[in-house]
Amino acid sequence: MQGVLDILSSGVHDAKNQLFLAETLLVQAEAEHGISLDEARFAIELAALRLSRVLTAYKLQRGLETLSISMQPVGELLEEAVLINRKHCERLGLSLTVAHQRPVLWPLDRELSLDILSNALQNASRFARSRIVLSAEEREGFLRLAVEDDGAGFDPPPHTAAPRLGVGLFVAREIAAQHQRGGRQGRLSLSNGGALGGAVFELWLP
Amino acid sequence: MAALTELGPDFYRALRFLVVDDQPAARQGLRICAQTMGAFLVEFSAGYQDAIARIRRAPPDVILCDYQLGGERSGQQLLEELRRFDMLADEAVFIMVTAEQAYEQVVAVVELAPDDYIIKPFSPERLKLRLDRVLRRKRFFQPLYVAKRAADFPAAERFLDESRDTDEGQLHRFELMRQQAEVQILKGDAEAAERVFDEILAAHAFPWARAGKARALVGQNRLQEAREIMDQVVIDAPMYFGGHDLKTQICMDMGDHAEAQRTVEEASRKTERNYVRKRLLADAALLNGDTETAIEAMADVVRNDSTPGAVTVADRLMLVRSLVEAGTLVEAERALDEITPQRLETAGLDERASWQALRALMKPDAERARVAGLRNAWMATPFDAQTRLDIVRAAMALGDRELATAMTHALFASDEIRRVFKVVRDLFEAQGMSPVFRELQRRAALQKISHGDDVPPEAPLQGV
Repeated sequence: MQGVLDILSSGVHDAKNQLFLAETLLVQAEAEHGISLDEARFAIELAALRLSRVLTAYKLQRGLETLSISMQPVGELLEEAVLINRKHCERLGLSLTVAHQRPVLWPLDRELSLDILSNALQNASRFARSRIVLSAEEREGFLRLAVEDDGAGFDPPPHTAAPRLGVGLFVAREIAAQHQRGGRQGRLSLSNGGALGGAVFELWLP
Repeated sequence: MAALTELGPDFYRALRFLVVDDQPAARQGLRICAQTMGAFLVEFSAGYQDAIARIRRAPPDVILCDYQLGGERSGQQLLEELRRFDMLADEAVFIMVTAEQAYEQVVAVVELAPDDYIIKPFSPERLKLRLDRVLRRKRFFQPLYVAKRAADFPAAERFLDESRDTDEGQLHRFELMRQQAEVQILKGDAEAAERVFDEILAAHAFPWARAGKARALVGQNRLQEAREIMDQVVIDAPMYFGGHDLKTQICMDMGDHAEAQRTVEEASRKTERNYVRKRLLADAALLNGDTETAIEAMADVVRNDSTPGAVTVADRLMLVRSLVEAGTLVEAERALDEITPQRLETAGLDERASWQALRALMKPDAERARVAGLRNAWMATPFDAQTRLDIVRAAMALGDRELATAMTHALFASDEIRRVFKVVRDLFEAQGMSPVFRELQRRAALQKISHGDDVPPEAPLQGV
């Protein structure tokens, strides 16, 4: 199994290295010609994220993915998720805001949590009418990270049917569950409504 | 968030950057990123050795280093080497760049983590976000760096106490606690360190915090409890090699040299080019009586630990010692000849005495007169355990029972006897001096009971 994983990993890393080169060439072109190629750069980062996600999904399925938990500043996590997605949202005419006061720190896997939030923000940006809110709070001893939008919500509504599980949601669900602390386990929750009336994506981490 | 704007292009313009990557195109990519952030002074390095040379010559403020450096070298090895030889100030920033998402697992378990890492591809904006955070963190901790460099523990503690409740301190609460525990360990207050590690562990059972607690327990001589923690840590976090090293040390302190060797061997196999660990392997193997492994490890160190100044006289002596123990005297002599007078000149008192003792061990008759001239000075010098053991061996070879007994007495007086207890006991037994050894042991125990109070001068030992 390790052999297949090594081959897949090495292919994905090669591709990501190439994508990095492509992105920096765009950055250089932006500087030289005074133009903005944000969307092209965003597309490159998205492609890389998807590659990583497929590899993560494979590892999860084979039981080869292990988290790396450290104490992370929650505000910084949100700030970075916004940085990755802000320009894309702006171009779509969407406002992306953050609601967070506490907790300051939480034990979590930074890179994987960031990917999950980024994925949720990208989904929201496809369906939101004008607003997306990314929030974090401590609730019932969990860190609740939420992405809410003012779109039409999940269709069909999550409580009426099991949601179609794409790679993104599969990874998010598994990664959430792998966050364990004091006998409690993380989870994913999808619903419609919330403060903005659209889709509500929640990641609960113990 | 407002603080972000503080670190604008002007700030970055003044920083010296070093980009380390074996791929020219990737170096170019990182340079573009750095320049987009406002960097002006950007130097390149194509690999491990060149990077070390450049950093030695002119330490940069920020190092952006790819994890894969080509050949068998990694950015992690570069970082460990820089820290090992103190080539990077605490204020300097080292950021690892990698396309491997799995690097996260590497960084979570290494002893010496970079200041941060970033996974490719990333935009200059994202790199700047991460770098800004690191630079702000460094600025926040700067008073602590200064205090620690000066070994000014009151100042370090003052900083840690005063910072904890500030807004920025909240953000670094765990790092502050970790530093607090480290300062307590440096100060020698292992109980206070244990309390802080317990506080961290209440939030999450981080392997490093469990290992920290084990270190604090070792500092209180609670070896069995420390051992139990580390037994579990190496199972739970098999890639946390620092955990293996600590368990090895604890096993050696407990005299369980077989388990010590097994533990460090496992870690060393997975970190082939970690020569600090190879030295530990040699120590454990030699104590365990596995001279072959000790010789192999030390020969590798002497041959391949290539950073200038890395191979010391102590390392060469360890190779000689292992060869002598294995009974391969011709090779031992050859290895001893490698310790030239010039090299010996740079060595400390311990190494010089060990060098002389090992010579005497190999050629007792030729060295007898020289040792006779040195023995009184040796008996009055506070050598480390290894040197004392070398002298015990030499003394036995020379038939100098008084010297052997005096050195063993000194070993008993320090806690270091634990590691070499079995070796010394066997040496005494081989000379028919077991009763003397037992008497030394008894006296050490009595002295311990008297809590280190001055014990009246001892009666001469029988049989010496």
